Amino acid sequence: MKKTYLLILTALMLICLFASPGVARDADTLIVVQESEPVGLDLMRSSLQNTMSVCYNIHDTLFFPQEDASIKPALAEKWEKLDDMTWKITLRKGVTFHNGEPLNAKAVKFSLDRVFDPEIKCPHKGKLSAFKEIKVLDELSFEIKTEKPFAPGLYMLGIYLPIVPPDYIKKVGNTKYNTNPVGCGPYKLAKWVRGESVILERYENYYGPKPYYGKVVFKTVPEATSRVAALVTGEVDVISGIAVHQRKNILESGKAYLTSQMGVMPYLGINTYEPPFDDVRVRQAVNYAINRELINKALFNGKAILCNGPISPRTFGHAPDLKPYPFDPAKAKALLKEAGYPNGIEVRLAYPTYMSQIQEQVEAIAANLTESGIKAKLEPFERAVMWQRYKGKKHQLYVYWWDDAPEPDRYMYSLFNSKSRDYYYKNETIDVLLDLGRTIIDRTERAKVYNEIDRILYKDCPWAYLYVIPEVFGVSNKVFYKGDRDGFMNMRWAKPKN
Amino acid sequence: MLQYILKRLWHTVYVVIGISMISFFFIHLSGDPVLLMLPGDASDQEIEELREQLGFNDPLYVQYVRFASKAIRGDFGESLYYHVPVMELVIERLPASLELAVAAMVFALVLAVPIGIISAVRRGSMLDMGSMLGALLGLSMPHFWLGIMLMLLFSVHLGWLPTSGRGTMAHLIMPAVSLGLSLMAMFARLTRSVMLEVLSLDYIRTARAKGLREEIVISKHALKNALIPLVTVAGMQFGFLIGGTVIIETVFAWPGLGRLVIQAIFSRDYPLVQAIVFVLSLLFVGMNLLVDILYVYLDPQISYSEEK
Amino acid sequence: MNTRATESLGFRQALESLAPRIRLTLETAREVVKRPSALAGGILLLVILMASVSFPVLYHTDPLAQDLLARFTPPVWQSGGVWSHPLGTDNLGRDVLSRLLYGSRVSLLVGFTAVFVAELVGIVLGLISGYYGGKTDSFIMRIADIFMAYPFMLLTISVIAVLGPSILNLILVLGISDWVTYARTIRGSVLSLKRKEFIEASRAIGTHNIIIIIRHILPNVISPLLVLGTLRVANIIIWESGLSYLGMGAPPPMPTWGRMLAEGRVYIGDAWWLVTLPGLAIMFTILSINLLGDGLRDALDPRLINL
Repeated sequence: MKKTYLLILTALMLICLFASPGVARDADTLIVVQESEPVGLDLMRSSLQNTMSVCYNIHDTLFFPQEDASIKPALAEKWEKLDDMTWKITLRKGVTFHNGEPLNAKAVKFSLDRVFDPEIKCPHKGKLSAFKEIKVLDELSFEIKTEKPFAPGLYMLGIYLPIVPPDYIKKVGNTKYNTNPVGCGPYKLAKWVRGESVILERYENYYGPKPYYGKVVFKTVPEATSRVAALVTGEVDVISGIAVHQRKNILESGKAYLTSQMGVMPYLGINTYEPPFDDVRVRQAVNYAINRELINKALFNGKAILCNGPISPRTFGHAPDLKPYPFDPAKAKALLKEAGYPNGIEVRLAYPTYMSQIQEQVEAIAANLTESGIKAKLEPFERAVMWQRYKGKKHQLYVYWWDDAPEPDRYMYSLFNSKSRDYYYKNETIDVLLDLGRTIIDRTERAKVYNEIDRILYKDCPWAYLYVIPEVFGVSNKVFYKGDRDGFMNMRWAKPKN
Repeated sequence: MLQYILKRLWHTVYVVIGISMISFFFIHLSGDPVLLMLPGDASDQEIEELREQLGFNDPLYVQYVRFASKAIRGDFGESLYYHVPVMELVIERLPASLELAVAAMVFALVLAVPIGIISAVRRGSMLDMGSMLGALLGLSMPHFWLGIMLMLLFSVHLGWLPTSGRGTMAHLIMPAVSLGLSLMAMFARLTRSVMLEVLSLDYIRTARAKGLREEIVISKHALKNALIPLVTVAGMQFGFLIGGTVIIETVFAWPGLGRLVIQAIFSRDYPLVQAIVFVLSLLFVGMNLLVDILYVYLDPQISYSEEK
Repeated sequence: MNTRATESLGFRQALESLAPRIRLTLETAREVVKRPSALAGGILLLVILMASVSFPVLYHTDPLAQDLLARFTPPVWQSGGVWSHPLGTDNLGRDVLSRLLYGSRVSLLVGFTAVFVAELVGIVLGLISGYYGGKTDSFIMRIADIFMAYPFMLLTISVIAVLGPSILNLILVLGISDWVTYARTIRGSVLSLKRKEFIEASRAIGTHNIIIIIRHILPNVISPLLVLGTLRVANIIIWESGLSYLGMGAPPPMPTWGRMLAEGRVYIGDAWWLVTLPGLAIMFTILSINLLGDGLRDALDPRLINL
């Protein structure tokens, strides 16, 4: 009896001692870790960052979007503008999907139609709603038309229109396609062990430059600390979701480095339809009450970029002459008094619990607000409830975020055009200007429109403007990888160092 | 005996029906998920259409009947979040949870039984007091905190064990230990007190008086009798393990049902929550049934005609 | 005449049954005090209670006051620590010691009141079930079976998710999901008591059922509940911290041990005290309650199995 136990105990201890922390793996495999698992692998059905990141390795679009909101050829080989509303696009020759199906103009048409298919409930529909139709000219070329001139059109296509294989989808159906996608990107799906990993393999007939790694494994580790530990111990090669305070640990480890990616732009949304925030003075008071500088210094080591208006300082079209609202509690109190609230106000402040570090920012902001007589009751909500209440117009103050994309239309239109969401703010001038901004093809003229929007919203305060937090990926020293402004983990660019 | 088992089976059925009702009504108290299923710029008309199409405008009991009639056939619908049949998800994640629960149970029993026996045999010794104090400490620690502490030590500082995820034996150690430690403490205390009781019984004295070696007395005679309460409690604690996996799986990113259900609740993925609750309670009830039967088998003196 | 006789009979009986009970209580207390471990547990719990009640008077630091530039100040014994924050500060520069003390209020409040609610529900249902028997009994016991099989953690999480997190909801949910054990214990005792002569006698002379239950049955079944309840407080506190850890406890900014753990969790590599100290606080509280509970059980009912 005793002996058996002794044996089992020793065995257990041996396992503890000798179990190697990393899974044995070869130099041809790249392991990438994200915060959450993809919900599906059909790029048309999800707008979640982590999901889209995996998808962009499988699906290709017509163009590669660039940092300055311009484009480079991907599946489209060349394109020409026929008039302000029509583009003629020619596809690359000889491109195939992972199942061998050829890429042609019909597949592009099928893909755009699929975006508007009600069964798909495509979350990117709004971004592409300007596109009216595709006219197939021949096997590889087609004309794409918009209803009105749509300046960011090709850039939007480059992000939001993955080209999918019509025959395959017709055969397997939409549900199966979501778990067994076929694209024409550099990697094809080898295996998806849900809850554990998505394993991608290099697609040997890829039309573009051959990706270096033969195998890319996407894993999920929800805990930020665990992700960093896994990177530093060499268990994995690339990680996303690194809190500001952990960056130092990664750099000091000497095992990995950081590469910049997208910026997260949190904002404090205000329900302008209901008192007390129907009064612009109260909204300005909120802006004066927040100590952005201090929050930046304490929480982000001064690495965040303070926002002076709704358009990120890193986005095309932002008005450079605006100064961020200064921290001025006296002014905030005076404005409240002017608006008829000499004793301050009590408000509700909602925020989502799934975003790391939002909680502490909200608590710091709430403390600021209280100082100026705006007593905020915190309301943490889980992802879905936050969204439900947001759409149900139930928030009073709320914290949400967007990435500070290079193209202003990508977020400004969704958030401020009352035809799009119309949840908490409506301004007809802004509606007109946003519609106008879409149609001007000339970049200098276009910038003027967005400058104007920025200035109007600066004064009208539908939000309290906060800051942009530049995000980073952590990359093992063995790997060379540079992050993109869109924040997607496109692993075709990764290669071994030296 | 057969009648008893049949009765217990019937019991299982109504419990499962009851649970499905409770979870269904609770979940629907928080409103319907239509807003979650559509993109942000959907119009009110689109929302209303989808609501009608999915039957959320019907009275609740109609919806329940519809749900139940499908559920009987194993069809719990499609996940709102993952867009795949929920049973598929549940079946994928179930093995991971069972693996963790079983590992924790094995860890607990393997250590607890000898500790309990030694403590009972050497009652009052330093060893006894030390291990009982240790057991008390183990009972007093929240298991998720223990998990975090283990991670701090073995992953962050020492770098011996992987921080999270599933795959090798090394991945299993920390979650299983954190989940199993309080169980181990409980089993050790139980073993000790049961053994103390058994050791004072007449037949043990007789066995000793006959000059049997102490080890034989303990392993052959005493332990066998001490096993009955241990088995019962271990079976009952299976439910605790399932509940415990909810947090531990979140802490260690263990891809099991516990983590899935938390995500499902947070994202209001109604069909998924229902399916998981159903499967977990089925497991629990099944386990209890098994324990009951085993109990009767181990101890024939228990009458099974009487009310439990 | 008849009624008065009944009442005085009942009253005298109640008195008679009360006298040994008072003696028993004193005896219990003496028994508990005699055990060093139980005594230690009692003292520890008392200290924790005193600290949580009296802290604003003795320790003035506001648990909510932020000092962003002083975030992650380590405890005083480490280099960089300061006496104004003996146990350091958290991610927003708030004082950890005063947050821990404040957190103890939440934990103890939720722990004890939830058990109280559970006992109340359990006692009422258990008494009804055991005393009346028949259909009422089987109905209540069927419900109890369902509650037993419903994964406790899932029940509380889904209810909180629907109702929204608040202290009151927490107490109600934890209380109401935990009634079954008490109800079953009570029911068992009532079933065996019901056949006792003095109960049958009072029933025979027409005493109202409610009076029988309150006067004769309740006092006789209460002591195992006391033991059970004490030990359950420990469990409830652990569950409460678990729910808070998942973000389903008392809403912020109110500090709770569970949320302190969850928030500190993010900084596990940078500020060990943020994850270690709240856990230790929970552990010592639970330990004190367990020690006391063990002592109570040994004193009141030595035959109860040592779990």
